[in-house]
Amino acid sequence: MSELQAYKDYNVGDQLEELIQFVDQTMIDAYADASGDVNPLHIDPEFAKTTFFGRTIAHGLLTLAFVSRVLSAWNWQGWAYGGELNVSFLGPVYPGDSVRVSGEIDQILQREDGIYARCQLACFCDERTVVKGFVISKISP
Amino acid sequence: MMSDYVKYSSMSEGDDFLDPVPSFEVTKECVDKYIKSTNDSTKELTVDDEQGRRVAPPMLAAVYVIDALRTRVGPPGGIHAKQQFKFHRPAYVGETLFTSARVVKLYERKGRNYVEMTTETRNQEGELITSGIITRIWGKEA
Repeated sequence: MSELQAYKDYNVGDQLEELIQFVDQTMIDAYADASGDVNPLHIDPEFAKTTFFGRTIAHGLLTLAFVSRVLSAWNWQGWAYGGELNVSFLGPVYPGDSVRVSGEIDQILQREDGIYARCQLACFCDERTVVKGFVISKISP
Repeated sequence: MMSDYVKYSSMSEGDDFLDPVPSFEVTKECVDKYIKSTNDSTKELTVDDEQGRRVAPPMLAAVYVIDALRTRVGPPGGIHAKQQFKFHRPAYVGETLFTSARVVKLYERKGRNYVEMTTETRNQEGELITSGIITRIWGKEA
C-alpha cells in the first residue's frame, strides 16, 4: 500500500460537504421504532433520569446514519460497495442538539484493488465532539 | 430469580455470542422506515439499481446487526462506545440476512465493563454483506 497526494479530482485536504441535522425526541423515537432499539436510555425520560446522563440521549447509530448520508452524497459507489468506518462515541447527543458532520481527506491510498480516500471524520454538537474517527471509500473505478 | 439479560461475568473471550444465528428479512417497509427516520434523501435509495433491485442504505447494518445482538441483551442502560463497519455491499430488499457475533475482548476501564465483539452478516446465499467490530459498555447489573 502506498500513499498519494491526489487522485483525479480528489486531493489530500479536501473537505467533505458538511451536514447539519437537528435531533429531537420525535426523531429519536422514530429511529427507535425503525431500528427496534428501544433501550429505555433513548426513549424513556424517567429511566434516563436515573442514568449517568440524566436525560434521554440519541442512539449513537443514529449519528452514524448522518455520517453515512454525507458519505453517500460524496461518493455513493465507493461508500456502499466497500466503504469502511471506524469511530468512537465520545459524548451524547441530546434531544434539541444539532449534529454537525465534518470530514476531510487525510490520505489517498493505493491498495491492490484500487485507490481509496481516507477521511478524518468528526461530529459536533456546538463545540462538543460527539463522534470521532475515520472512514475509507474507494475513489477509483 | 434468573435475570433476563446476559451477565458480564457469563461471557468469555472467544465465545460465539449468538447461537443460533438470528435472521433478518430486509423488507421494503423496514428500509423505508429507516430512511425516513434518518432523514436520508440519497437518490440511489429512491430507485432500483441496474439489476432491478431496491438497495438499502449501507448503515441499515445498524439495524440488522443490533437486531441480531438484541436476541441476547445486556442490562438496560448499556451504551455504544466504538463501532467499525466494512460494507462489502449494500443489502437488497428481499434478502434474508444472518449475523453472527463473537466476543473478542472483555475489559474494565474506569469502573465500567466493556465488551468488544466482531460481527459478520451474510445473506441467504452466504454472501458477505457487512463485517464489523462493536464495543459496548455493559449496563449496570442489579
